Amino acid sequence: MAQLIKGRQLVANDWVLGGGEVQPPADARVILPLADYIKAIEAGEPADRRAPLLKAENHDVSPLLPYLDRVPLVAVNFTTTGDGRGFTQARLLRERHGYQGELRAVGKIRVDQMFFLGRCGFDAFELLDDEDATTAIAQLDRFSVAYQEGSGNLTHTRRRFGG
Amino acid sequence: MYRYDDIDATLVAERVAQFRDQTRRFLEGKLSEDEFRPLRLRNGLYIQRHAPMLRIAVPYGLLSTRQLRMLGHIARKYDRGYGHFTTRQNMQFNWPELKNVPDILADLASVEMHSIQTSGNCIRNTTADHFAGIAPDEIDDPRPYCEIIRQWSTLHPEFSYLPRKFKIAVTGAPADRAASEVHDIGLHLKRDANGQIGFEVLVGGGLGRTPILGKMIREFLPREHLLSYLEAILRVYNQEGRRDNIHKARIKILVKAKGVEVFRDLVEAEWALIREAEPDLKLTDAEVDRIRGFFKPPPYEKLADINVTQGQSADFQAWYRYNTRAHKVPGYRAVVVSLKAHGVPPGDITAEQMDAVADLADRVSSGEVRTTHDQNLVLGEVRQIDLIETWQALKALNLATPNIGTLTDMICCPGLDFCSLANAGSLGIAKQIQERFGDFDYLYDLGHIEIKMSGCMNACGHHHVGHIGILGVDKHGEEWYQITLGGSASTHSALGEVIGPSVAKDVVAETISRILDVYVAQRESGEEFLETVRRLGVEPFAEKVYGTAH
Repeated sequence: MAQLIKGRQLVANDWVLGGGEVQPPADARVILPLADYIKAIEAGEPADRRAPLLKAENHDVSPLLPYLDRVPLVAVNFTTTGDGRGFTQARLLRERHGYQGELRAVGKIRVDQMFFLGRCGFDAFELLDDEDATTAIAQLDRFSVAYQEGSGNLTHTRRRFGG
Repeated sequence: MYRYDDIDATLVAERVAQFRDQTRRFLEGKLSEDEFRPLRLRNGLYIQRHAPMLRIAVPYGLLSTRQLRMLGHIARKYDRGYGHFTTRQNMQFNWPELKNVPDILADLASVEMHSIQTSGNCIRNTTADHFAGIAPDEIDDPRPYCEIIRQWSTLHPEFSYLPRKFKIAVTGAPADRAASEVHDIGLHLKRDANGQIGFEVLVGGGLGRTPILGKMIREFLPREHLLSYLEAILRVYNQEGRRDNIHKARIKILVKAKGVEVFRDLVEAEWALIREAEPDLKLTDAEVDRIRGFFKPPPYEKLADINVTQGQSADFQAWYRYNTRAHKVPGYRAVVVSLKAHGVPPGDITAEQMDAVADLADRVSSGEVRTTHDQNLVLGEVRQIDLIETWQALKALNLATPNIGTLTDMICCPGLDFCSLANAGSLGIAKQIQERFGDFDYLYDLGHIEIKMSGCMNACGHHHVGHIGILGVDKHGEEWYQITLGGSASTHSALGEVIGPSVAKDVVAETISRILDVYVAQRESGEEFLETVRRLGVEPFAEKVYGTAH
């Protein structure tokens, strides 16, 4: 079971990844590839127990937008480590489209990217098996200041000109 | 110059702590080499041929004398007593030990310096005109905008994993002294019809294996929108730039593939949304003025221009002519400190020279030293009455070689001697050229010629934009050199044209000599080398090079 960090602690993962051969139990909470998610919702499956999985490499988030008001969780999968497109997806969902629910980074993320992922709006992180959760959590608060606006309450440079 | 406040200081200190922790985890085996690589690169640390190489940021080429002394200290304590200035106005040390790098970064932080984003697929050090603030032709000082860009781009959460590296240059004068047309983004300060300050925006320039000049995508960007527009360009690039092929990943390839009009439309559409959504990116006059306040000129004395060369030695007159430049304030002059002494690798400087230049700058200039993209230093605020003393001091340091703008004022990468990417040596070729063309009367007769040399097609030595470009290539394990003519990184930049097959290592200087013979024979009165090449094309030069060699 992959380690899941949320709210700066290890938490139980109450979502399963669907879209494969094995059918999850009927009452499970299931993360589905975006196209499957849209099909499921359109077919009337329960919106509170279905979540879309975006791929960082498919940078366009617009197919998800009509469903964003009822999505409990959006997962972004990093197929390769350090695909910057996933960082942009997160900012767009949070800042441009006002998404407030859980935004989970999954796939090949490394602990030393967590500060930036968090600043872009991710609030949940599924770690690779070889990563250490304590180290990972520490990285989220690696910097106490920033030059840019972003998620979280860091002191940043707007303070200088009374923003 | 810009001074850190508690936010800057905290950020840099926390960066040092972060890298100390990452280095510890690597040395303890908790991070693999593959995992550590992108982390160390973002702190300017390469693993090179002999040892790690550490690249330290010199933001837009401006150093306080205190910072220069610290670089000297680092050279002595952690390296072999010297450093190397690069074409991005930064400093490289070639022999640090990995385990010492966190301590080096801590020493740098103590003088408000860092090595953040001097490598890796992120936004690199923003470069500028090395005569910023003092050039007579300047419209506005580019350095405050560079500092604003430095802050915006430092640890930018969204743009720290770009498809490839990203370089921005800013110029403040009609004459381009920052090679802005060969940058991912080139910003040219200008005034609109109402006298408002803004930028002409170029995008998609770059060298490397696909050299391309930047294309203008916005004729006038009001300065208040600088950051929102940069954010729009970077976001489009981050989303659309190729990641499947490292050689096709720079923004120049994206702009070329989409066409500049389509790319511009994407940027403008994104910009409109960003301006709405991120009002904090808008630069207020108060914030620009606050940053500009850091770059106020020193208090100038009321002086008149004087004729300092009258009655002086020919040596001093040559130095004055080649190594000093006009200053916007009467009675002052800018001095170029030549790091191109014959027999010394271009851009290299010893720790003792760093200390002595710092002392000299405190005595005769403003307590600041500028680094240039052509690998020299500048003392920006020298009173004309102090020029003789300045010359004598620099001469004693072997830093007054009167060759700025001449053939031996070469740009040169470290090449095969240090760099693990290189195909061929460049320092040995530089030496060969210095030895062959050691006669100053001949150099002066040839006039303004820029040689730029790279040891591989990554083009750190900017060979594409040399009047004479030299590119090291590997042919069956031997070092050969391809020659281009007619390149330029000044206003209206141009890419050089290859004259023919590459030449063997031992005949590079001889080849250049033949090229120069054609120039001397065919030049018209007052015509510079580049003008002659442009008028004649490369054929007559190629004939002379290959005609008798075949």
